[in-house]
Amino acid sequence: MTSVQTFTIQTTEYNQFILITEKVEELVRKSGIKNGVVFVITNHTTTGITVNEALECLEDDFKNFLARLAPDDGDYNHARFLMSYGAMANNAPGHLKSLLCGNHCIFNVIEGELKRRFAQEIYFCEFDGPQERGITVTVMGD
Amino acid sequence: MGLTIDINTHPYLFSDVCDTEEKERFAIEITGLYHSGVGSMASQFARLDCAKIDRCVLSPLDLTTTRGRWLNTNEEVKTLEEKYPDRFIGFASVDPRREDAAEVLEDAFTRLGLKGLYIFPALQDFNPKEAYMKPLFEVCLKYDRPIISDCGCSPYPGLLTTYAHPMLWEETALRYPKLRICLTRFGWPWNREVCMLMLRYRNIYTDTSIIYLDDSRQMYHQMFEVDMGPKWIDRGFRHQVMFGSGDPGLEQIRQVNAIRALNYRESTLENILGKNALEFMGFEKEMRWVND
Repeated sequence: MTSVQTFTIQTTEYNQFILITEKVEELVRKSGIKNGVVFVITNHTTTGITVNEALECLEDDFKNFLARLAPDDGDYNHARFLMSYGAMANNAPGHLKSLLCGNHCIFNVIEGELKRRFAQEIYFCEFDGPQERGITVTVMGD
Repeated sequence: MGLTIDINTHPYLFSDVCDTEEKERFAIEITGLYHSGVGSMASQFARLDCAKIDRCVLSPLDLTTTRGRWLNTNEEVKTLEEKYPDRFIGFASVDPRREDAAEVLEDAFTRLGLKGLYIFPALQDFNPKEAYMKPLFEVCLKYDRPIISDCGCSPYPGLLTTYAHPMLWEETALRYPKLRICLTRFGWPWNREVCMLMLRYRNIYTDTSIIYLDDSRQMYHQMFEVDMGPKWIDRGFRHQVMFGSGDPGLEQIRQVNAIRALNYRESTLENILGKNALEFMGFEKEMRWVND
């Protein structure tokens, strides 16, 4: 059996880490699937999904680390008008941070619950906000 | 730092007014924003808050004679202005080639209370030097309302840039010295012509909604510090340049941050980011030509 559910988030900052663990756990319970896996997938290319410990100090470290690797004032090829979008493309740092974070995470589902250790929190990562963003939660199992 | 005002925005893809699939298709066809989609008002306000932009001048577009319809109406802009008075300042549009253009504009100024006229010669397919513009100029003068005219290279598809040349406005600037005219996008690639017009005519303004080839920071550097003398704006045009993003299509957050990073006097940045817009719209009459 497979359950596919989506939800949206209105982000409020240019770079932002948003905890979505509780929302994913709720959707896993709603799926009715007892044992299997859950995939949490972002629908975008300037965002990320990552799993880490939810500490303020670490969140600042994540942001600083990614900003060092993909600085806003870097010299990028992706800095031009995109005819196919009819819009400017100046969000290379967002794409590169997304590359580093990846677009999804996976957890086990056991006895109808998302199985994780206490420090494992799921983050939705905004790298080109604020925007309305979509996340897909796919649960596969029995 | 005072108010930050974006002088050049449009509600084409706002959920409050772009509320049917057919309207969305039309907005995308005209703007060429093939992947942007309609944005919620919450999303618009989140972006403005993130950019620290206090107010946006919102303009619709009357395409009556070319497309038989409006891309947002004056009434819709009035509704948005009334609903979100702390966010938006409404401008009117009119298609200058419609027979009742002057009446439509006068109605927008008197009944709707809109604060200026927005026109887009290249997209509305008219020459701003034509005689049919005169009644519109006179309505603007009668009610002391400014004109924003889309100028230079636009990101929108399907239009001839011929009517976007800033020099088409010189005679008007000369004949109507009290008519305040903003030639948007710094007229790029005719930015030197816009500089000449601003130098000669104090009623000519411009904005920063330049379609850029690199990123916003690099483009402003190339235009304002290489193509132009690096102090031209800070010394000569500090009362005639306004922050404008041209949203939707360009990038409001990155543009305003690039403007804030320019190496100008703090007072010049305050002018560009808000004071000049207040003066242009006639809200701050005492500020006019303080550098004369």
